[in-house]
Amino acid sequence: MKKALLILLLVFLAVGMLFVGCKPKEEAAEAAPAEEVQDTLVYATTDKISDMDPANAYDFHTWELFRNINVGLLRYKPGTTELIPGLASEYSANDAGDEFTFKLREGLKFSDGTPFNAEAVKWSIERVMNIAGDPSWLVTDFVDSVEAVDEYTVRFNLQGPVGFFPALVATVPYFPVNPEIFPADRWINDPSELEGGQISGMGPYKVVSFKRDEEVILEANTEFYGNAPAINRIVIRYYADATTMRLALENNEVDLVYKDLNPSDKVDLIANDAYNNYEIASSYIRYLCFETSESYFKDKRLRQAVAAMIDRQPLIDKVFLGQMEPLYSMVPKGMSWHTDDFKTELGDGNIELAESLLEEAGYSADNPFEFELWYTPSHYGDTEVDMAEVLREQMEKSDLLDVTVKSAEWSTYIDNWDTKTMPSFLLGWYPDYMDPDNYTAAFAGTSGSAGMGIYFSDPDWDALFKKEQTSVDQNVRAEVFKEIQMAWTDEVPTAPIFQGKLYIFTQPNVKGVVVGTDMVLHYDTLYFE
Amino acid sequence: MKRLLRYAVIRILLTIPMLFILLSLVFFVLRVMPGDPVKAMLGAHAPPEVIEQKRQELGLDKPMGVQYVEYIGQLARFDLGDSMIYKQRVIQPIREKLPATLELAVVGMLFTLLFGIPLGAFSASKRRSARDLGIRLYGNVVYCIPVYWMGLMLQLIFGIWLGWLPVAGRTGGRVFPSLFERTGFYVIDTIITGNYAALGNVLTHLLLPSITLGIVLSGVFVRLTRANMLDILKSDYIIAGRARGLPERKLVYSHALKNALIPILTMMGLQFALLLANAVLTETTFSWPGMARLLLERIYLRDYPTVQGVIVIFALTVSLISLMVDLIYALIDPRVKY
Repeated sequence: MKKALLILLLVFLAVGMLFVGCKPKEEAAEAAPAEEVQDTLVYATTDKISDMDPANAYDFHTWELFRNINVGLLRYKPGTTELIPGLASEYSANDAGDEFTFKLREGLKFSDGTPFNAEAVKWSIERVMNIAGDPSWLVTDFVDSVEAVDEYTVRFNLQGPVGFFPALVATVPYFPVNPEIFPADRWINDPSELEGGQISGMGPYKVVSFKRDEEVILEANTEFYGNAPAINRIVIRYYADATTMRLALENNEVDLVYKDLNPSDKVDLIANDAYNNYEIASSYIRYLCFETSESYFKDKRLRQAVAAMIDRQPLIDKVFLGQMEPLYSMVPKGMSWHTDDFKTELGDGNIELAESLLEEAGYSADNPFEFELWYTPSHYGDTEVDMAEVLREQMEKSDLLDVTVKSAEWSTYIDNWDTKTMPSFLLGWYPDYMDPDNYTAAFAGTSGSAGMGIYFSDPDWDALFKKEQTSVDQNVRAEVFKEIQMAWTDEVPTAPIFQGKLYIFTQPNVKGVVVGTDMVLHYDTLYFE
Repeated sequence: MKRLLRYAVIRILLTIPMLFILLSLVFFVLRVMPGDPVKAMLGAHAPPEVIEQKRQELGLDKPMGVQYVEYIGQLARFDLGDSMIYKQRVIQPIREKLPATLELAVVGMLFTLLFGIPLGAFSASKRRSARDLGIRLYGNVVYCIPVYWMGLMLQLIFGIWLGWLPVAGRTGGRVFPSLFERTGFYVIDTIITGNYAALGNVLTHLLLPSITLGIVLSGVFVRLTRANMLDILKSDYIIAGRARGLPERKLVYSHALKNALIPILTMMGLQFALLLANAVLTETTFSWPGMARLLLERIYLRDYPTVQGVIVIFALTVSLISLMVDLIYALIDPRVKY
């Protein structure tokens, strides 16, 4: 009997092991990098990868990865907002500004050796348009068609003049992908879905191993047209917890940490001479949105009042330990034509102005204006709940305001935009392209605003946006953006709060950290001292 | 033997209604939770017609009852389905992550027993002494400590202050699992492939998270062992042994403890479920790429099939462990008959 039992138990164990452990032979036989190498940098982050496909990836970290494993026709000079040639050696536009022609570099190949040409560009753009993924509007809102004029010349025919089209071309949805391996009719999540199971690009690095939410291993791409990177291998390690990531840096398990540590961890690491720290003036912004079509915030006086009560510096000091910068316009500092109109028109913690507006709208200490302030607890980091609470405290310094703080997970949060559940809610924004249009039309143009749960619509504003989008005259655009920023303090579809500062921490022997206001970390400039 | 086999078969068959009830609950709770998985997948800018097309593709436009019947039918064919968010079979990430969690759970349980049983036995043998009180206090305190906090403190002390152990991950940043990974159990894989440098690295990474789990659960076993030991130490044969002059240490640890282990064995099966629950926080704290972290991430993404699949596997694992424990119980104690 005991023997039978033992056999039974062994059978259970064996079945369990078989089910769990056996990997198909082809997986175990995947090409493996060399074991322990000197020339490896371990980069830690709490960010996540979404889809390994330019047709649907629309988050900061995945775009950063794409900017290192692939290149656009144009790209930003590392550390700057200056557009320089990428896969295209030059470009020209017609006088009307609705036709852009790019001359491609000749002889380039994808990292798997597939030749690159104008047909690949055309195929890639049409693919993005057909698939209609999340970031496809960056193409479909502007491009009418793409032609391969000859083997190395491609022409974009636009729906109308677009003054900032070169900046759009530098965005990830415009990156050419290998037509031999990517499916034409759907986006992919993982490289394993591609023909051959590996993603190929034309950037300084290529992906050699991909384990979602664990690690991505990159190696130098020998087909890259530019200079070979100094560090042959980059291992991106994904951490679930910011504190653990900090400990990993202090334990010398990782070489570089970027996005994102808790404010207190940043303060400690900055004070510690054992690590290099880099402060990046970023173009990431945080702001308060109002649902302007059906909620009580239809009345712009209430939006102005709430916006006037925001006291930016104390909030930054309390929640972020002073690591952000107050923002008085949706257009961040450092971007063209930025103004500080919210400071001059509404101020900070301006109880007097807020109360006069509220009284005008019929509220009083006996009949305060009650409203809901929503936040999402994990999408923007652990500080979000504190930020919402501090804002509530600031608002309730006035007896005429009564704030209820509510929260929803990210998937519910974006669902709530459609159902107009949230009268006011906190959001953040990383730019798609480095132009003030990306910080304004997306929130206050009729179609963009509806997509963000704000539902602001004003034909005069739409006309202004149309004017700046279709003008190639920078003076005209400058005037429009000045007008829009001032008008923003009157209509207040959103209230800017602060502009982010990002920090990178490295071991002392890691050098060459180059990050501009586009916040993209360029792996190919890194080196060990 | 027939009786035992019959018992085992009945237990296995009883797992089916248990799973059915559990999955039905999970199925409906997930679908009434706020948050649209299609919008989470496609993003806020996707056109409405694309959203609708995706909803149809995933079968989410069908009535909930129809979805439920289709899902149960799929399960009856042992098919966990496809992820709603990523284009992969549900079984794929489970197969990748389950060994990590099992490895952590097994070693965690070992530490639980390593801390809990000797301390409980010692406490019983020194009843009403200061040491007994201290150990009972330890048992209560560690059981109350949140596993997340325990993990952070161990990381701080052993990882940072002392610099003895790594604080996160299954391997160091400069060790590549693809070189030795065969079964997914890295301890076994490094031995199989003879990669002893990697074995050392894997074991050092396994220590802190498993000790965290082990310490937190050891409190239960301290109390249980102590209680059982106190009963057994009053038994006639123990008294007789003392009368015959047998050393106290031998009486306590060779004779009494063996008999005290039987109910502890049963508790191991029950505590395994708690171990898996604590694994969610432990895997997050230590960035351990296991099933619990997978579950958490897929809940955020509203990936219904993967969430359901992970819960099926968790339930099956707990049932299997529980059954194994009962069978071992019968092995150890010939008085036990089913």
